[in-house]
Amino acid sequence: MALINVARREIHCKIVYYGPGMCGKTSNLQWIHGQVPAQAKGDLLSIATETERTLFFDFLPIDLGKVRGFQTRFHLYTVPGQVLYERTRVAVLNGADGVVFVADSQLEKLQENLNSLKELAQNLKNQNKKITSFPIVLQYNKRDIPPQYEEVTLTDGTRKRRQTSGALAVDVLDKYLNGANWSAFRGGCAARQGVFETLRAISKAVISQL
Amino acid sequence: MDPQLTSIIVPTEEITQIEECLSRLVEDTGSDYALLLDKSGQVISAKGDGDRQDITALGALIAGVFASSREVAKLLRERDFRASFQQGVRENIFIALIEEQWILCIIFNKGTHIGLVKVLTKKATDELASVLERVRQQHKARDEVLGSSFRTSMEDTIDLLFRD
Ligand SMILES: Nc1nc2c(ncn2[C@@H]2O[C@H](COP(=O)(O)OP(=O)(O)OP(=O)(O)O)[C@@H](O)[C@H]2O)c(=O)[nH]1
Ligand SMILES: [Mg+2]
Repeated sequence: MALINVARREIHCKIVYYGPGMCGKTSNLQWIHGQVPAQAKGDLLSIATETERTLFFDFLPIDLGKVRGFQTRFHLYTVPGQVLYERTRVAVLNGADGVVFVADSQLEKLQENLNSLKELAQNLKNQNKKITSFPIVLQYNKRDIPPQYEEVTLTDGTRKRRQTSGALAVDVLDKYLNGANWSAFRGGCAARQGVFETLRAISKAVISQL
Repeated sequence: MDPQLTSIIVPTEEITQIEECLSRLVEDTGSDYALLLDKSGQVISAKGDGDRQDITALGALIAGVFASSREVAKLLRERDFRASFQQGVRENIFIALIEEQWILCIIFNKGTHIGLVKVLTKKATDELASVLERVRQQHKARDEVLGSSFRTSMEDTIDLLFRD
């Protein structure tokens, strides 16, 4: 829940990046930290394992400066995506004003995405938030990993090309993950496309709910 | 509108009262620092010695630690897990929950007895609970506080700052 401090004329909002392990949540924050001008950001705080997997959370405070006389701050967090850390995700999600769900576009990650999204819905519900009205945007990450195919022969003898790995088509991801029709953005490591686009969308969604 | 989605607006009078409460707590216990956090980790008010540069990160960490220790409590089927104490070599931290919404955190050293901190924190949390109650009661419209053009100005700022 956003906090408006009238005496100090400050507004704080909390945005959480959620999604399965290794989907690229921490990478989003690292890239944002690298791009935002120094006066608008604090240190990126990462509590991670020795292998760079998030153990507790990443935290990046962003200061948007004065807007109509109010000092406005966004606090960006990532949850640890590994299945093991379910309860830690509940803790980090506590009090969030908006969520970016980062999906891993790869075929073999579809089930993990589905599980993570289902868990997010349940966790929001437990915090008395309606998933239909709560600010959420989707990011289909790892678009840069090219799909691989194999030729298979069906029982009737016809041959067909079947995807074996790599990024699924966006309309397939939409079908499985975006029944709620959230805004969805494509992300990919190479040019870090989509990272700011995603952040703009969730920021505006959060502001509209203040 | 879903009440969970509206913001918490803390008016000037309530902030003043919170600040007085924290200052008193620091003074009466001889602590180094008292912090009031929202459960989301945001710092509502901080009182104590010197200027801490790391206060924002401190707020995020303490709220995270507290939220996860409450998850631990749930797993242990412990119902009343409303306070926690961390003992360091130099500094100790005592953390107490206010109505599931705010977190009061006191940082103190060897010179202060934990018993005193507990007693006075209890008093302070009661007082802060009534402040929170008043904050929840007041239904100022957002536009009344922020002004009607806030949202468009905000969107412009977002576009400007988060630009490829
Ligand atoms: N190819 C490709 N790799 C990516 C992309 N985004 C992140 N990665 C890589 O995926 C790995 C995991 O990225 P992280 O950002 O640490 O993933 P995470 O979601 O924070 O993972 P957890 O902390 O375990 O939940 C790293 O090796 C990244 O370099 C992407 O868009 N494309
Ligand atoms: Mg991570």
